Parts: sequence; structure tokens; C-alpha cells
Amino acid sequence: MANYNIDAKKNMTYDAIVIGSGISGGWAAKELCEAGLKTLVLERGRIVEHVVDYPTMNNDPWDLELRGALGPEDLKKHAIGARAGFVGANNEHFYANDEENPYTEVKPFLWVRGHQMGGRSLLWGKQCYRWSDLDFEANAKDGHGVDWPLRYKDVESWYTYVEKFAGISGQALGLPQLPDSHFLPPMELNCVEKDIKGRIEKEFPGRVMTIGRAAHLTEPLNGRGQCQFRNRCDRGCPYGAYFSSNAVTLPAANATGNLTIRPYSIVNSIIYDDKKGKATGVRIIDAETNENIEFYSKIIFCNASSLSTTQILLNSTSDRFENGLGNDSGELGHNLMDHTYRVGAMGRVEGYEDNYYKGRRPNGIYIPRYVNIDKKTKTDKFLRGFGYQGGGGRGNWSAGANQEQFGAEFKDSLMKPGPWEFFITGFAECLPYHENKVTLDKENVDKWGQPTLAIDCEFKENEKAINRQIKADAVEMLEKAGVKDIVGFDNEHEPGYGIHEMGTARMGRDPRTSVLNGTNQIHAAKNVFVTDGACMTSSSCVNPSLTYMALTARAANHAISELKKKNL
Amino acid sequence: MDRREALKKTALAAGSAALVPSLFSLLQSCQQKPRLSWEPIFLSVDQAELISTLVDTLLPKTETPGALDVKVDIFIDLVFAKLFNKEGQDAMITEMNRFDAFCSEKYRSKFIELSTEDRKEFLKEEESESGKYNGRVWGTAVGVQKPVGFYRTIKSLALWGYFSSEEIGKNVLNYDPIPGEYLGCIPLSDVGNTWSL
Repeated sequence: MANYNIDAKKNMTYDAIVIGSGISGGWAAKELCEAGLKTLVLERGRIVEHVVDYPTMNNDPWDLELRGALGPEDLKKHAIGARAGFVGANNEHFYANDEENPYTEVKPFLWVRGHQMGGRSLLWGKQCYRWSDLDFEANAKDGHGVDWPLRYKDVESWYTYVEKFAGISGQALGLPQLPDSHFLPPMELNCVEKDIKGRIEKEFPGRVMTIGRAAHLTEPLNGRGQCQFRNRCDRGCPYGAYFSSNAVTLPAANATGNLTIRPYSIVNSIIYDDKKGKATGVRIIDAETNENIEFYSKIIFCNASSLSTTQILLNSTSDRFENGLGNDSGELGHNLMDHTYRVGAMGRVEGYEDNYYKGRRPNGIYIPRYVNIDKKTKTDKFLRGFGYQGGGGRGNWSAGANQEQFGAEFKDSLMKPGPWEFFITGFAECLPYHENKVTLDKENVDKWGQPTLAIDCEFKENEKAINRQIKADAVEMLEKAGVKDIVGFDNEHEPGYGIHEMGTARMGRDPRTSVLNGTNQIHAAKNVFVTDGACMTSSSCVNPSLTYMALTARAANHAISELKKKNL
Repeated sequence: MDRREALKKTALAAGSAALVPSLFSLLQSCQQKPRLSWEPIFLSVDQAELISTLVDTLLPKTETPGALDVKVDIFIDLVFAKLFNKEGQDAMITEMNRFDAFCSEKYRSKFIELSTEDRKEFLKEEESESGKYNGRVWGTAVGVQKPVGFYRTIKSLALWGYFSSEEIGKNVLNYDPIPGEYLGCIPLSDVGNTWSL
């Protein structure tokens, strides 16, 4: 078991500092440590050691007084997490305390955070999809946002590199709009999913349905065990079967002997030296003692999560950067994106009464983007596209609440599985709008005296047009697949619900219109790298985390090579 | 135990005449209707009796345990106490009173005093008149969820309390905490009852 070195001496100098230990920070730490760099990871929350700090991982419902539900006091502490719908007694310790970490919703925006070692890598959905040039060229082609300073060929080998270490299960399809990963064996579709897949693919040429591509091991890898189909991932996995910083990258970083990880370290700002023309270190506040401490390093990786990274950069002012570190373009804080979420259709599937399944598969189905991928599929209703996630399964006793029955027969009928049900829900690409932004709110400070964020973001007509199509297509596909009692839905969620917040320190080719260059360096402070979601120039319609991993590994290796050449 | 004998012993042991009225009233009510065998932490005794009778009607004992066997009524009292905020608690009590008032109006008798047949008749009406829950995707309801009222809420809580209990979860349904594999299409007859987790 990894015991981490948490003893960071005051005013100490490291080769590298990594701010944050979530999905991207863990990768930065691993790459930098393995290259021999003495690396300090600053984590604002507590240490969460793999397995040791997963207290609820084996709980059954009856092991908890309230069977996994949270009372009003805990819900107040997790008001944002509860709005997202995922927080409960078995995972609340991995959700940030929303009362202690306020932000202002200028327009409604859900900002779900995980303030502990591993961050939201303990909680994520684990869906992993490569981007394609359809995504990287999108801005250049339709003129929204700025062009990505890279293309698929620049990232392809890095996707492979991170996939081999993270472990991604899935089915190769050879689709140009959704390049295949380096896959472990796919998880299985169940009978109803197979049936519906066959019908949709027959009725709608060009559409395909596949098992979700997910960071779950389907065979052992590097000492980690394979998925046991308990579906208790968000409590921490005792087998290390899903990718998290805690189970995968941080132990690897620690094994080099080059890692120090300092918990309870809230980063106030990055120190920029006007004379040297580069960043020299990081100022932190100890969350427990309120002590102000500085650490120094040659390079700094920002991996605090999209909005927290930008919050730190906006708060890092100097004579050279009056409006925030790297903000020559005025784009820092702007172009915030998320995916639209919870719009789709659900229904009941007839037949297969004599079939069931074994195991609780922490994964569903995926229908890759099929609109606006070429001339033939072009629509004039909207730009960009969408994909669906979903799945099928048999109902259980919980369906009994709505049934107009009660009594002995009713009770005994609920012991058997209910009818099969199937749903799909779309994820739409969001355009990068300059006016969707975060700003520093110096009037409202948190309990550590730090300026909070004001988030001013909304989905606009293009996203709404995609959502209309998502719902209509979902209903149509389910109808043609023979699904009954179909309910189309659009919860019209505010942004943030996708928990895919991206942008606010975008990459670009031109320092006048972007914050970062093609290797994630701040244009005018090249020893500062931003490789979390803040760097994203557009949002694609696929889940972003795999791309964060690839961009981080790529940028870290660029940093290592530049350090060797003494360019940083 | 013989109640009169118990009373005598208790009163003697306590050695205080002041205790007699409360013990007397306890004896009185014992003669009228079955007493609770547990002490509610949120509900009044009358309210708890209503909940007990209701969940027993919804999920009676058969070859498998009934709601009362796995303490669903005690669980619902706990849920009211610890999961509902003040507003929710007040609303539930108001609706509970309305439920019983409606019952009294129709049958000239409170719900717990009805015959089994009348209870069923009354609940059938509640079934057809109560709102329904929306479908859910990944933990939240799709669309805007309208309030479903007292009856549907209690039914839903009763199902939750019953099927999440250790007895049902481990010994009646199929308990498999570590499946170890995912098999997407197997005969239901290989499994029988639904998986509990």
C-alpha cells in the first residue's frame, strides 16, 4: 500500500508543482515523477489512499440507518451535489462541502466539485471516447470560437499511451467520427440491448449502437483487478478496477520516490516574476491552519479542474498581468462550455420475460454521433452534433409504487423482475461563446478569504435546437425498435449538469485570442501549463476526460523535453 | 402476560399512587385496539398506528415476511424524523390527518378501526386518485415531478423499507454482493427472484 510523503517543507523548491490531483493532475504527477522530476502535488482536500480510505465500499443498504439516503443537514452541505442527483450517504465524503465553497450563479449553473486527493476521478462516469478531426476542426470550419492549435494526428499516439495504462474496455468499430481506442475486451450487451441495437441499425442506416467505452478493466492490468460488477464505483473500488488517480496514476508517481503530495493546500495564486519573465512558484493557504506558504519550482501544472484553475489564474495578478496570469487576450474566464444532458426517451420493452442477467454492469450503451458528420448527414437545423448514452434492464420492486395494486399478491409479484425497460439520453456539443464566462467576485470571499467565482453561462439557440433533435430522434428510434409506452423528455437543465465543464483558458494559435499554445503552455508564461478542462477550445459531444489525460501526458512530456533543452 | 397482573406488580413496585392514572389509561386503550410494540421517535402513537396498519395492508405477511415483520413502520417513522425537513414533516402530518378525516367521513370510522375489507376498499380509491412518480434516469426524475400525496408517498417508503431490509435483501431476494462477471442474457429460471442489490 502506498504511503505518501506529505511533508512539504516551507519555502521549499521543487522541479515541478502540480495543482490538483484529479484525473489530469494525477497524470501530470505520474509523467513528471517518472521523468525524475521532484514533484509537489498541491491538493486542497485530504489524503484519500486507495482502498484504505474507502470506508463505504462494502456497505449493503441495511448497513446504514437511513439505507443510503441523506438527511436535510447533509443535503444542505451538498446542495449542489444533490441537485446533480448523485450524492448519497455512501459517497458524500467524496463530494465537496458546498456550504464552505460558495459561488454565485449569475445564471443557473451546477458546479459539482470533489475536494480530496483524486478529486472527481473517484466519482466520474468513466466513459472514454477519443475525439476526431470532426471535433478538432469544428471551430475552424464553422467559425465559432478559435481554431484548435492541434489535430487528431498530434494527439493520437498520446491517446494510445494513456489508454494502455488507464485500461479502457470497448468495441472497435472503425468509425471516422469516433476513433477506436486501444481496447480491453468489451463488456457485454444484454438481450434487450442486442435486440434494440439490431433494429436501430436496420431501420436507420448510418446509426450504430455499441457498448459504452469505459475506464473499467475487463481483465487485470498492472496489478489492478478486473471489474467485479458490483456497481459501487463511486465509493472507491477495492479492486482498483476503474481508473482513478488514487488507484492508478498517483501510486505510479509515488513509486518513483519523487512525489510529495501536500493535503489541505488551497492555492491562492501563482507567483510570477516580472524580471525573469516566468512563474517561480505558488502561494497556498493551509486549509486547516490558515497559514500562508510559498513553494517554488521550475514548472507549474494547473490541474485544479476547469473553473478552479481559471479562478487561480484570475487571482494571480502582477504588474505584467494585471487581469490575471496569461490574460493578455482577455479570454481568460470566457468560453465556458458543458454538454446538454438528460434529454431523450425511455419506454417498456415487450418480451424476453424468461431472460435476465447477472451482475450490475457499471456501463451502458453508446450511439455515436450520426448528424453533421459528412455532406450526406448535414442538417441545416444546427451546427455540430450529439451522441446518446443509455441502456436496458429489468424493473424491480421500485416500480411497485406506481402500480395500482397492493396486498399479498402484489407483494409477492414484486419478488420477480419487472418488465424490461430501455432509455437513451443525449449529450449535445455546446458552442464556445465568449459571453459564457466566470469572473472573480472579490466582494464575496470564502472562509479562507479567497475571492469566489461568479458563473454566468447559458445554453443558447444552437444547443436548444440540438436538444429538440435529440428528443425527436430518441422517440423515433425507440418507436422503430418496438419499444412501448415511450416517454420523450427534456429536463431543460442549466449548464453544469453534464459535469463536463470545459474552457475558460482555451488553447489557440494566436496569443491575441487564446490563453494557451498548442502544448498547453500559457503564451506569455511558458513554464505554466494548463491541462485540465480549462484548456478546451471546443467541447465535442463526447465525454472529455480521456482527452484531458492525453493532452496532459503530451504536455508533460513536452515540458520534460523543454526542461532538458533548458528552454523553460 | 396477564395485563392486570402486570399492572398490579408495576404499581406495587413503583409504590406511587401518582402513576395509577397513566397506567390506567394505558390499560384502557389496550382493551380497545392493539398497542404499538415500539416507541415512535417522530410520530404520535395514533399516527404510528395508522402507518403500521397501512403498511400491513399494503405488504401483508404471506409465505414471505410482511412489512411489520421487517419493521417497515419503524423505518418510516425514522425517515420522517431524519430525512424530512420541517416543511416536509408538516405537510405529511397534514396529509395524514386529511387521509384519516376522509376515511372517517366515508366510513364513520378511522382507518385503523376499519375492517380489513373496508381498508382495502378505501385504499383502492386512494390508488386510483393518487398522483404517480415520473420515470427516472440516473438518479433524478425526468420532467417536472408533481406531488404524489400521502398515500403514494407511504407506499413508496414502505416498498423501500421492505426491500432494502436485511431479511428481504439477503434471504428472500437474490443477494450477490460480488457478482464477479456480467452475463447479459441468462434464463430467468437460473435466478428466480430478482437481484436484491
